Amino acid sequence: MTMGSIFHDMWDIFVEYYIGQGLLWTGIGYTLALSAIAVFFGAILGALLAIGKMSRFKALRFIITAFIEIMRGTPALLQLYIAYFIVPMLLTNLNPTPIACVAIGLMLNSAAYVSEIIRSGIDAVDKGQTEAARALGLTARTTMVKVVMPQAIKNILPALGNEFITIIKETSLASNFFVGELMTTYAVIKGVTFNPIPTLMDIGIIYFVMTFTLSKLMGIAERRMKASA
Amino acid sequence: MLNENKEVMLEVKNIFKNFGDLEVLKGVSTEVDKGEVISIIGASGSGKSTLLRCMNLLEEPTFGEVWIEGKLMTPVDPYLHYDVIKASNTYKKLAAEGMDEVDAIMKIKKEDLLQEKSGKEGSEYKSLMDKIYKENHIDTNLGRRKMSMVFQQFNLFNNLTVLENIMLAPVETAKYNKVKDLNGEKAKIREQAFTLLKRIGLEDKADVYPSKLSGGQKQRIAIVRSLAMNPDVMLFDEPTSALDPEMIGEVLDLMKELAQAGMTMVIVTHEMGFAREVSDRVLFVDEGYIKEEGTPEEVFDHPKDPRLQDFLSKVL
Repeated sequence: MTMGSIFHDMWDIFVEYYIGQGLLWTGIGYTLALSAIAVFFGAILGALLAIGKMSRFKALRFIITAFIEIMRGTPALLQLYIAYFIVPMLLTNLNPTPIACVAIGLMLNSAAYVSEIIRSGIDAVDKGQTEAARALGLTARTTMVKVVMPQAIKNILPALGNEFITIIKETSLASNFFVGELMTTYAVIKGVTFNPIPTLMDIGIIYFVMTFTLSKLMGIAERRMKASA
Repeated sequence: MLNENKEVMLEVKNIFKNFGDLEVLKGVSTEVDKGEVISIIGASGSGKSTLLRCMNLLEEPTFGEVWIEGKLMTPVDPYLHYDVIKASNTYKKLAAEGMDEVDAIMKIKKEDLLQEKSGKEGSEYKSLMDKIYKENHIDTNLGRRKMSMVFQQFNLFNNLTVLENIMLAPVETAKYNKVKDLNGEKAKIREQAFTLLKRIGLEDKADVYPSKLSGGQKQRIAIVRSLAMNPDVMLFDEPTSALDPEMIGEVLDLMKELAQAGMTMVIVTHEMGFAREVSDRVLFVDEGYIKEEGTPEEVFDHPKDPRLQDFLSKVL
């Protein structure tokens, strides 16, 4: 097999399967939807975890820290397998589909990382800002809402964008459960064409175009945000 | 200064502060009277900034009391009151064994004192102390609104414009107090903010963010931000130490103006000339104690403590 024929096959497979059978759109659609759901709910849950970690209740802090450390210290694929089997057992009435289970797994994984992003974003705000606000007699809550968070957001948003890109790549793990996202198309097309290499390279290009575009868009948004401050 | 009828604004009693094993303050007591300007001097690491930060509880004292206008700000366990400990048999025993005062006070726990006063006598005593405490206590945030602080690093809120910086605390305070006509109140606060900015000649900077200002401008605005709370006492934590030399003058001039207008001020400073000029009283803090205090003439011209003499020979 020559390089020329690989490029040729890449083109053929792209035209026939990705465009012709619409696998490109369903693949990207599932991948982006999974990532968006994981990051969106992960961010909400992550914010709650970050707030909980600042709580004065030691037991709550301990549980949250343990959760975060476990999620960060074990492979995402393992977490997805566990979610895949355990979520249906926990939510028997709802009869969750495999993709819902995977989405929940990714969301919990993302929450752990997002909570650390938020925490470090808050930590990065100069302590003098809090001191000045408290010295003026503002409550801890007002200080957080009016002074610390608006500054922390500027640290948090770019990192949250990076987390979105990381999750886009991590959704490829969901192909283990054939949920239909981009990486699942590999098994589908390989099963018909018996031609793995060009298929993989097509997929690689599609992922790259997605993440590269997003990271450029985020760069523009970041510059706009800086300019407005 | 009209000190005929002396009125104590701020009082610290037996303040101890430990950072881990490090004893920074070892029993500091002093009073600040209305209209008085006090300078706190001392070498780096002597505990002078910590003392100032204990006054508004930015650092919570490990032990001791802070009183603002006759109200107690520090949460004091009635059993661990300085006088109670000193009067206890446990303390007398430790003292008789030759233990240092600081170590003994830190060592004695509530349980030791509870054992001394057993049963009914103990609980009656405790409820009396609780009652006294409740009657005298003031919420930390309320106490802080009576005394504002100016920091070495200015600490203007980076996310707010100059005007918003000045208005934030008064507006939020109005919200805490559930002021009926909030918009009317805001307009008043805004007007006051502009008056203050005019006073320092920076009204054209009202809509500018702090990052666009010079150090001297930042510090003057930080002072004005404190003034907007109409404080009874102002605390200054080395307000000129982070400034370029050519900007120190403008900040000191503003502080002098405040002193002359009768503001009660506590100033931690390295500017000895300024301290001598504006202070009614100078405290020399060293090794966690107030080693010497007196009028500027006494402290600067006739220092008694050898450590103070040594310190002055180095800085003057």
